[in-house]
Amino acid sequence: MNTTELRLVLKVGCALLAISLPMGVALEALHGFKVAQWLASPMRRELWRLAHAHGSMLGILCLLYVALAPHHVEDQRARVRAGRELALGAVLMPLGFFAGGVLNFEGDPSLGILLVPVGALLIVSALVRVLRAV
Amino acid sequence: MGSNAASPFAIAGALVIAPAAMGLALWLGPDPTRIDPSGGLLARGGEHIGADACRACHPEQHASWDATFHSSMTQLPTRENVRGRFDGDRVTLFGASARPFERDGEFCFELPAIGAEPARVATVALAVGSRRYQQYFELVGDEVGGAYRRLPLVWHIGDERWMHMNGVFLAPDNNDWSRHQSLWNENCIFCHNTAPSPGLELAADGEPAPKRFDSSVADLGISCEACHGPGGEHARKHRSPLARYGAHHTRGEDDSIVDPLALDQAQATALCGQCHSQRLPSPPEKIWTYMESGPTFRPGDTLAGHVEPIRRDTPPLGGDASRGFEERFWSDGTARLTAYEFLGVTQSPCYGGGELTCFSCHVMHGGDVHGQIEPRMRTDAACTQCHVEIAADVRAHTHHEPASSGSRCLDCHMPHMVYGVVEIHRSHRIESPDTRRDVEGGRPHACTQCHIDRDALWAADRMREWWGDGYGRPSSRPDGAPLDAPEALASLHAGDAVQRAVYAWSLGRPEIALDERARAAAAANLIVTLGDGYPSVRVIARRSLLALDQRAGWGLRARLESFDPLATPEARTRALYELLDEVPRALASRLAPLGGSMMLAPGGRIDLERVRRLLDLQSDHVISIGE
Repeated sequence: MNTTELRLVLKVGCALLAISLPMGVALEALHGFKVAQWLASPMRRELWRLAHAHGSMLGILCLLYVALAPHHVEDQRARVRAGRELALGAVLMPLGFFAGGVLNFEGDPSLGILLVPVGALLIVSALVRVLRAV
Repeated sequence: MGSNAASPFAIAGALVIAPAAMGLALWLGPDPTRIDPSGGLLARGGEHIGADACRACHPEQHASWDATFHSSMTQLPTRENVRGRFDGDRVTLFGASARPFERDGEFCFELPAIGAEPARVATVALAVGSRRYQQYFELVGDEVGGAYRRLPLVWHIGDERWMHMNGVFLAPDNNDWSRHQSLWNENCIFCHNTAPSPGLELAADGEPAPKRFDSSVADLGISCEACHGPGGEHARKHRSPLARYGAHHTRGEDDSIVDPLALDQAQATALCGQCHSQRLPSPPEKIWTYMESGPTFRPGDTLAGHVEPIRRDTPPLGGDASRGFEERFWSDGTARLTAYEFLGVTQSPCYGGGELTCFSCHVMHGGDVHGQIEPRMRTDAACTQCHVEIAADVRAHTHHEPASSGSRCLDCHMPHMVYGVVEIHRSHRIESPDTRRDVEGGRPHACTQCHIDRDALWAADRMREWWGDGYGRPSSRPDGAPLDAPEALASLHAGDAVQRAVYAWSLGRPEIALDERARAAAAANLIVTLGDGYPSVRVIARRSLLALDQRAGWGLRARLESFDPLATPEARTRALYELLDEVPRALASRLAPLGGSMMLAPGGRIDLERVRRLLDLQSDHVISIGE
């Protein structure tokens, strides 16, 4: 078991939860106080909600990986590479959704949205590695 | 792991980074609330805040309003909003032609020379109307100081065709394409937008300078604040969720916004009357204040002190008798044009002696958006919600079969006799028919709008027989037509332009109390009306003919559709003579048994000599009234 790699995934998972949960509170506040700049852009509202949701769920996924991988993924090389891909993908996806809602256009996200498919591919790759190793 | 544990600063940083980044993005990024595709027409943020701001807390009310025609009365000319067919085909009307076309996402008209202006291309900058027809306006001058001027062609949504302004207002044929080139900034802005401010720039002495406008509205179209009042204070007061939840749970009165259903009768009626009432500023000298900063009326007020509704006896503007208002009313002061609904309601005994308001029948957040009315209120329920004793024994009141159209409250007490937007609408003066009053006053009569084969004396005798000696026989008609002629046909041929339009519409009603033969006779008479000198009367007559044909299955649809009521006089005359020959011949088997009634000669042909005598009674007085 490579504790350095697992520690990375653990830190990423905790960091994602630490960032995403206050973000959810902030989104509630923007809605609660009817901040016009927030309410007036449906595109931004959708993208930031996605950033919050993906950050939270992927953070939990990282923690689950740390808890389960050492016991069920015996191929250390696969476990290390899957851990790196999961950690990077879990950061890129919510970051892409968030950046897509900054300086966005009326009907389209900003170019930051390009991080989302990159992150998604990394997570899919990690999933495939794990499936092949168990 | 202890040496690698995250520092308190890192943890704190992680917790605040997302809210901080969001705040920064909202603060530094483009503000979507400031995106204004209207070219600077929208002015929000102070007293008025616009409908978008209301949606944040009232999404359902916003959605029900958004579905109404109020919301789309004035629109920017986007592909979604423009109803006209800008397909590049040339449209020839009233002696000249124009070509509506689309270019680079803009909607344009290739216009002929009009007055001193040479032929040119005009680009649509505003669209007004979304239900019956849509008018188009071009921006003359710059966005700052410029004016929106009406273009000559309108798209009729129901008929799916281009019309000319000269053909939709009630006026005789006229080939002057400049007649209706009015400015949005000093006309339409008042009742087709929310919180209008025309922004007419006045000279130092308070008189109008050469026309420059800095016009603004809170919303294009009629939106929330037109009825609920300015929302700025209300929104600021309820920005805090604590304040909102406090309001939800205490259900206390909120003096920062108007609840129309909580207003008294005069206030509630004035709410609609601020627009559904042609009016003058009160006192009239306030006109320049209105033209500069807009109306002073606010929801919750009565009209008094702000405007004076126009009545038949309202003195003409500037003492110019030619600008009087008489022709907008029937002789007894009942309005015969739309946009006088407030006057009609307040003239009604149900208002003065009852609790009637507009909201007794109309709803703003539900029902049928066509008329903003619950379907139930299109039935007798509109009246029997108060007059329960009549509902208990309908026959005793109406002397008609309870299920028949003769027992429908609205058809007798709110008959269709109001012209507007090439349609005939119900009068909003709720009253009882009176044959003598109506016929002697030259206004349509509810009985003969249904019994179109009956004369005025018959109707008067029935009224006296059923409702007492207070109802007498008329002594004459203002146009001199014989009283023993069918009242509907006498009015159709000899009445003034509004009477002719009303009866042209009446003859096409599905409810008319006629058998199929008499309906055929009505059609034969309507063919004559296709030769009327007022284009809008011809349009209505053609619609009635098509409606009669559709119900009776005469097979004349294609023939009737080939007649264009807005074609050149030569083309219309040619087509009319053909129809006068063909239609009675096609209907001969149905017409012949009627003998000499209904303006027919023995044998079933239309008695043109008798009709001509009625046509000759038409007054030379020209009626020319806009909306």
